[in-house]
Amino acid sequence: MYAIEATGLYKRYGEVIAVNGIDLAVKQGEIFGMLGPNGAGKTTTTEMLVGLRQPDAGVVKILSMDPKKEGAAIKARIGVQLQTSALFNHLTVRETLVLMASFFPRCRPVDELLNLVDLQEKANVQTRHLSGGQQQRLQVALAMVNDGDLLFLDEPTTGLDPQARRRLWDIIEKMREEGKTVFLTTHYMEEAEKLCDRVAVIDHGQIIALGSPDELIAAHFGETAIELPAFSGLDDHMLAQLAGVSHIQRQNSQVTLYSTAVPATVGALLELAQKLGVSLENLMIRRATLEDVFLKLTGRRIRE
Amino acid sequence: MKAYLLLVLANIREFSRDLMTLFWFLAFPLIFILLFGAIFSGNGDLEFQVGLAVEDQGPAAAGIAEAMKAVPIFQITQGDREAMLAALKEGKLRAVIVLPEDLSAAMMVGQRVDLPVYYDAAQQTSREIVLSVMKDMTAELDRRLTGRPQLIGIQAEPIQAGRKMRDIDYLLPGILSMSLMQLGLFGTFNFVSMRQRKVFKRFGATPLPKWTLLAAEITVRLMIAVIQTLVIVFVGRLVFDVQMVGNWAVLIALVMLGATVFVSMGYMIAGFAKTEDGVQGIIQTVQFPMMFLSGIFFPVEFMPAFLRPVMTAMPLSYLGDLLRQEMVGASAMHSLAVNLGVLGGFTLVSLALAVRFFRWE
Repeated sequence: MYAIEATGLYKRYGEVIAVNGIDLAVKQGEIFGMLGPNGAGKTTTTEMLVGLRQPDAGVVKILSMDPKKEGAAIKARIGVQLQTSALFNHLTVRETLVLMASFFPRCRPVDELLNLVDLQEKANVQTRHLSGGQQQRLQVALAMVNDGDLLFLDEPTTGLDPQARRRLWDIIEKMREEGKTVFLTTHYMEEAEKLCDRVAVIDHGQIIALGSPDELIAAHFGETAIELPAFSGLDDHMLAQLAGVSHIQRQNSQVTLYSTAVPATVGALLELAQKLGVSLENLMIRRATLEDVFLKLTGRRIRE
Repeated sequence: MKAYLLLVLANIREFSRDLMTLFWFLAFPLIFILLFGAIFSGNGDLEFQVGLAVEDQGPAAAGIAEAMKAVPIFQITQGDREAMLAALKEGKLRAVIVLPEDLSAAMMVGQRVDLPVYYDAAQQTSREIVLSVMKDMTAELDRRLTGRPQLIGIQAEPIQAGRKMRDIDYLLPGILSMSLMQLGLFGTFNFVSMRQRKVFKRFGATPLPKWTLLAAEITVRLMIAVIQTLVIVFVGRLVFDVQMVGNWAVLIALVMLGATVFVSMGYMIAGFAKTEDGVQGIIQTVQFPMMFLSGIFFPVEFMPAFLRPVMTAMPLSYLGDLLRQEMVGASAMHSLAVNLGVLGGFTLVSLALAVRFFRWE
C-alpha cells in the first residue's frame, strides 16, 4: 500500500524546468523526506502532490485516489503545511484552529491539537504576536486539524533556531507514533537523517539518490571523512597521494579527504605535515553524512 | 454552512481588531461629513458686515439705524465715518452707510437727503445686494413718511422641486455613496493583500469550496456597508439636522445594491492586477475621478459642459442620485429604471469579469 504514488512528474515555468521527471512511491506509515537545496523543486513537487498545482505531465495517486476525479475526498484526508502560507493576523490561535477545522467533515478536538504542539498557553493570543517557532507549530497543528492519514510538511523548520527545530522534530516523531504517513521537505541534512525513514535527494528538479539515510551513505561511501582547513598549505595533489584516500573535495575553507583506511591515511598525513612543518589544527575525523552524499553527487553543498 | 459562518466571523474579527482599517472605514466618512458640513452648513445664508456712521443726533437717524439693524443679512458695526471707511479699505467691511449730520433737520422740512453708501467696487455681489436692500429700505421709509399707500407689492411664495435642499442635504448622500465606493474598492485591497500573503492558498488544499470564501467576504462587506450607513445617517441627523425622509428598508436595499456594485468592481480589479501595489494603482485611478466628477458632491449644473458625458459614464452618479432621492427627497436626475439598469449592468459585467480572472494566490 502506497500513500503517495507519482510517476513522471514534470512542471515548467516559462524557460525554467522546476520539476523534471520525478517518480515517487511513499509507503503508508513512512516518514519520507525530500532533501535538496533551495530551488531544487521541492515546493513545486509538494504543491503538485497536494493538488495546488497542475503538473504539465505525469500521474499522481494520493491514498490510492486520483486527484482529478476525487480531489475533494483526498483533501479531506490529507493535512498540508505550506512553506509560505500566512495566517489571519488578528485571529487567536484557538480561533484559527476552529476556523480551519470547520472546513473539514471530521476533525480533532482543538485542545488535543494545542497539547500536541504545546501551544495551550498561547491559545488566546493573536497569531501576529507569536514567535516564528510558535507560528510554525501552529501551522503544523493546522495540518493535523482533520486527523488526516497523510501529512505534507514543506520545510517545517526553515528559519527556526535549533531549539525550536528540536521541538518540531518531537512533534513529527509523535506523528510517526500515531501511524501517520509524513512527506516532508527540508534542506537540513541532519533533519533528514534524524527523522526520515527514507530520503529522496533532489537537485535541479530530479531525484539523484533515494534510500534510507544509512543506505545512502553506505552506497556512496565506504569511506570515512577527514576534514582539514584548506589553507594548510597541502595541495590537492599531495593529499590525493596519501595512503587510503579514495578522493578529495575542496569546499571554500575546507578540504575533505574520503578514506577507506583511516589509520593509514592519518598516519601518512601526520608524517607529511611534520615534513613540511605544517600545523594540522582543527583536523576532524567523522562518519560520512548525507551532506557528503550530496556533495559527492553534485559537487556542491546543500546550503551555500 | 459552519465554515461560511466561521469565515464571516473571522472576517469581522480581522476587521474589528485592526484599528487602522476601522479608522479608514468609519472615521474617514465621519471626518468628511464634519469637515464638509462645517464648510457648507451655513444654510446658504448670506451675511454682510456693514459699517454704520451716525452723524445726526435727530430721531430720524435713530429710526433708520434701528431699521438697518433689523435687516437679517446685515451685521452692523457702528463708528465714526473715518474709522468705518478705513475698515472698508482693509476689507473688514463690505459697505459703509452714513447717516449725515443734517438728516433729521432736512427731513422735517421735506427736503430730499441722499445717504452715502460706500462699497468695495471689486465686490460685485456685495454691491448688488447692499444697494438693493438700502433702496428697498429707503423707499419703504419714504412711503411711510409721506403716507402714500402701497399699491403694488409682492408675496413671496417659494416653490422648489422636491424638498428644500441645503448644501449639507445634498452632500450627505454623496458622502454615503463615496463610502460605499471606497468600501467596495479598498475592501478588495485587503483581500489582495491576504492573497499575496498566501492566507488563502492554504485553504486551496482543504475541501472548502471557493464560493464559500467569496460569499463570506461579500457578506462582511455588506454588513459593514449597513453599519456605515447608520453612522452617516445618524451623524447627519444629530449634527446637521439632515432628516432621513425615505423608507429605511428601501435605503438599506439601495446601500446593499451600491455596495455590491463596488465590491464586484473591486474583485474585478483584484483579478486584473497581481500585486497590492498594482491594485492600489488601478483603484486610485478609478476612484479619484469618480469621487469628484460623478456629481455626488456638486449638482450637475456646477460641472462644465464637457465633463457631463464623463459623469454619465460613472456608476457612482447613479448611486448618488438614488441615495439623494431616498435619504433627503431630492428630485431625480435619472428615472428609476435607468438608475437600477445602469447599476445592475455594472454589477453583472464586473462580477462576470471578476469570476473570469479570479485567482487564489
